[in-house]
Amino acid sequence: MGMIKAKSRTLRRNSIRVQTGLANHYTRKKPRKARCSVDGLLLPGVPRGNSVDISRLPKSMRRPQRPYGGNLSSRAMRALIIRKTREAVE
Amino acid sequence: MLEVGRICVKLAGRDAGKKAVIVDVQDNYATIDGEVRRRKCNMFHLEPTSKTIEIKKNASHSDIKSEFEKLGMKVFESKPKEKKTQEKAVPAEKAKVQKEKTSRKK
Repeated sequence: MGMIKAKSRTLRRNSIRVQTGLANHYTRKKPRKARCSVDGLLLPGVPRGNSVDISRLPKSMRRPQRPYGGNLSSRAMRALIIRKTREAVE
Repeated sequence: MLEVGRICVKLAGRDAGKKAVIVDVQDNYATIDGEVRRRKCNMFHLEPTSKTIEIKKNASHSDIKSEFEKLGMKVFESKPKEKKTQEKAVPAEKAKVQKEKTSRKK
């Protein structure tokens, strides 16, 4: 990598041992793990990866097969359904 | 509250948010049917509503369908499994096919 990208913090710097000492290797970072939009919990069943890596996966492997899967945690979804049914009664 | 005939809303699984009727109760499990596949389900995963319908214990799917249609609710219908029409290959034919494959690889 040239000196222009040396200060870029979007690229991760890995210190590598070479024969003449240490060298920096610049690598791209992976996207962060998905979180619930309501309570901020980590969402299991949603893989990390760029749009290219994710687009190669089958649809069933991208999110859980459940209402609001990949968007809300199971706890938040359950609370939402309970609230809706109780409001419908009233 | 969670007795036979009570209409509930399912809280967990791929059919969460759909309405179901309790058909049978055993310990902490209930057999449910309706907008949902006919199966056993943990009662902690059911939220009861104020409605009940009159059905017998272990009522059949067709009885539940008629009751649901009176209330204007849909019922889950499973698709019939497609039978495989291909016949099993005769052993001699199988050997022929395998020979062709190996010759093609070379």
